[in-house]
Amino acid sequence: MALLEAKDLHVGYRTFEGYLHVLNGVKIEVDEGERVGLVGETGCGKTTTVKTILRVLPMPPAQVQGGEILYRGEDVLRMSARAVRDLRRREITAIFQDPLQALNPMFTVGTQLRDILKDSMGGRDGGRLTKRDIEKRCIVALQETGMPDPERIMTNYPSQLSGGMRQRVCIAEALSREARLLLADEPTTNLDVTIQDQILRKLDELVDEKGTSVLMITHSMGVVRDLTQRLYVMYAGSMVETARTKELLARPRHPYTQGLMKSVPRLTGEGISEGIPGRIPNYLEPPSGCRFHPRCEHVMPVCKEAIPPFYAVDEDHFAACYLYRS
Amino acid sequence: MRQERKADFLASLAQRRRTLAKGWYKYSRNPLSVLGLVVLVLIGLAAALAPHITPYPAQAGAYTDFQNAGKPPSFEHFFGTDRIGRDVFTRVVFGYRFSLLLGIVVLGLGVAPGVVLGLIAGYHRGTWVEAVIMRTTDVFLAVPPLVLALAITAMLTPNLLNEMFAIALLWWPWYCRLVFAVSSSLRSQFFVREAELSGASEAHILFREMLPNCLAPILTKMTLDMGIVILLGASLSFIGLGAQPPTPCLGTMVADGAKRLPGEWWGTIFPALAIVIVILAFNLVGDGLRDVFAVEEV
Amino acid sequence: MPESILSVEHLKKHFPTKQGLVRAIDDITFSVAPGDTLGLVGESGSGKTTTAQCVVGMYPPTSGEIRFKEEQIGTAFKRRPKYVKGDLRIVFQDPGSSLNPKRTIKQILSIPLKVHHIGTQHDRLARMKELLNMVELPADEYLYKYPQAIGGGEKQMVALARALATNPSFVLLDEPTSALDVSVQGKIINLLIRLQRELNLTYLFITHDLSLMRNVSSRVAIMYLGKLCEIAPTVEFFERPIHPYTKMLLSSIPVVSDAEEALKPRKAISKGEIPSPVNIPPGCSFHSRCLARNGRCAEDDPAMVEVAEGHFVRCHAALESELSGHGAA
Repeated sequence: MALLEAKDLHVGYRTFEGYLHVLNGVKIEVDEGERVGLVGETGCGKTTTVKTILRVLPMPPAQVQGGEILYRGEDVLRMSARAVRDLRRREITAIFQDPLQALNPMFTVGTQLRDILKDSMGGRDGGRLTKRDIEKRCIVALQETGMPDPERIMTNYPSQLSGGMRQRVCIAEALSREARLLLADEPTTNLDVTIQDQILRKLDELVDEKGTSVLMITHSMGVVRDLTQRLYVMYAGSMVETARTKELLARPRHPYTQGLMKSVPRLTGEGISEGIPGRIPNYLEPPSGCRFHPRCEHVMPVCKEAIPPFYAVDEDHFAACYLYRS
Repeated sequence: MRQERKADFLASLAQRRRTLAKGWYKYSRNPLSVLGLVVLVLIGLAAALAPHITPYPAQAGAYTDFQNAGKPPSFEHFFGTDRIGRDVFTRVVFGYRFSLLLGIVVLGLGVAPGVVLGLIAGYHRGTWVEAVIMRTTDVFLAVPPLVLALAITAMLTPNLLNEMFAIALLWWPWYCRLVFAVSSSLRSQFFVREAELSGASEAHILFREMLPNCLAPILTKMTLDMGIVILLGASLSFIGLGAQPPTPCLGTMVADGAKRLPGEWWGTIFPALAIVIVILAFNLVGDGLRDVFAVEEV
Repeated sequence: MPESILSVEHLKKHFPTKQGLVRAIDDITFSVAPGDTLGLVGESGSGKTTTAQCVVGMYPPTSGEIRFKEEQIGTAFKRRPKYVKGDLRIVFQDPGSSLNPKRTIKQILSIPLKVHHIGTQHDRLARMKELLNMVELPADEYLYKYPQAIGGGEKQMVALARALATNPSFVLLDEPTSALDVSVQGKIINLLIRLQRELNLTYLFITHDLSLMRNVSSRVAIMYLGKLCEIAPTVEFFERPIHPYTKMLLSSIPVVSDAEEALKPRKAISKGEIPSPVNIPPGCSFHSRCLARNGRCAEDDPAMVEVAEGHFVRCHAALESELSGHGAA
């Protein structure tokens, strides 16, 4: 049984102009101990997907029209509020793009870390943890993320730390919960490239050590290459391709993925392609069938009829495209 | 060429219409805001058409009819008559006229200078210009409003005009501060920098770049302020410092009728209710405006 | 040296703050030849954005000279002659805030046209449509839209159209595509390259993305904490990076293929935090994170030296190994 499995998710938003049908049958699977990447461009629905999994979507404008998200067999969408809170406390943890938003500016790092540890630990072990225990665990958590001088950092406020250090604090917070699944939504996008490198390496190490499963969401192909084992490519509300990471990056099959890979500037200096013609679809009136068909150079009549299912193009490599129908 | 200009004009118009339609959609999500707007429109129309829709327009001002004095509400006099025989309903409607007029004039006089000064102060943030403007603002704000209004009207002869003038003088500092807060944060936005770097004049930057971004809080505050101004005006006339009798002023009416409570309650209660309703309506509209201007997050 | 359209000499820009003096730019010298694209690369605190801002006139320099077309322009924009403001333009980084959200595209584009008295009112409409066509946006539709109604990439294209409105010869691009998706980036970059050819433009392209730089610029300059570390023509730069910071940057780039992975310097793994610009380490500002440092590095600030045609480096250790003929460490 997969650790996390989303099936046929349909989510949309109610707005002035009408109903935005964003997620159009999203399916994604993360196995125990596996590291999965989710890449897609702005507006493809990846943040909506993460928010739906964590059940933090603002429900008045947002509506879940169908599908299920199974965490260890139980449907997250149908759980009680209390069960979801427990889920967030013990099982699933998250790191977000902007550590400034994730950290409370009014409290020191130490206070926040201690609170989180007390919240997630207390009750599970049955016994109460002493203050010293908690303190020690906080320091250890910070040290593990490669933070220099953790004792001093505990007394600092988030605004006194650099971006890289703040993100390390967020990682410490997330991983100290000993959760089974880590959701990382663009964790290093706002960081300098040399710092990003350090943080990703550290994350890699820690996740390896603890055996945590990871779902990493990003728009950067380079970042997923080193950190993940399997990759999903998302476009306009549904998954278009999935395979082992290196395989997918080296041999993309879906026309969208191919276009994307051609647009990535290469260190080897081949020049930059013209990108993909057209724009992402308007969710008010999305294209029928495969949502990529208006921009696709291989479009066929069947593409407009129904959204294509995943077809196997190679071992453990699937693309949602009628080109691979047989 | 003509054709192009026409197409351009129509397209701009279409865009404006669309913006209004979207604004209305957001506003109308809240039924209370719509109610407030309806009430305001009704009051506004009533005030504007007062001489034509009230049963006894002549009784609004100087008029006496001691035979009819002190009559309770009835079919001929919806709100009864006051102690010198004037129809309370008519006086309330005319009273609205003066209250709304007060609000409009005060805000008209007070908001514009406040906004302009706030824009200038925000743009010149960190320089002596800002210091001079904002410290002056601080001085005005340090004086309790009612005291200042009292002082001014007491110095000058108490009448409606001076009352308006006094309150207007109280009002500009709040707008100056409000706009200063918004404009000083706008100052560092790239589009303002871009205009500067292009060589645009300061006037252009203040009024064409920054002001449109300040309109939301200004308009919202203006609607909420209308209620406060009306109340302040009523308070001043309640203590006799505003419009003098026989001008039908809601505050004066409440004061006069108060002497006759609880027996001839209609003389006080109806004007008081009228004040409450108009202020409430403005507040509801202000809330609705805030919803319209709130930035959506999708 | 070929005649340069923009030259910056010993430029310094310091900001006094409560925490101390921020040396945003601390003595940099470079020049750009007409028709070239100079890529300026750096991380936070490097001073690259401040450099762009000084060149375009947002701040007057603390010291040093900025020459544009042989004319001294090293002052804040208020004092610059108007034609310079029209000739030297900038496209800002954040498309979200570089367009006034309360103005339509038409109103936004009309500002530079009005300010520089380009054409009459009739002509301006035509010019605006021409500009939008140049950046491949359907004019009739887009003129009346508000910025919120269009995507990030399109906003940048409007910002570019606005920059080009006054027929400039030099355009500063401050991270024009950093906030955009990679498929949109491709479109904009190709547009920039095409327009450069058609309109004879010179670019100063600022970015943190070295992979992008590799494909866009003719020369690359690396900045760290307000100083230039290395400048070289692009191909030379990527084939023979010398400065340790350059190597660290190159080794940190996330790449998507094994071929690229092979190009990354092997032993220059990133370490350490970027110091705050208020607390710049003495001597060579990079020495605290440098793997190749020696005794001199903590004391003497190295000077920029030309080690090959057009290739300048500022580093004690690198120079020593270059001079002794052993090649880069």
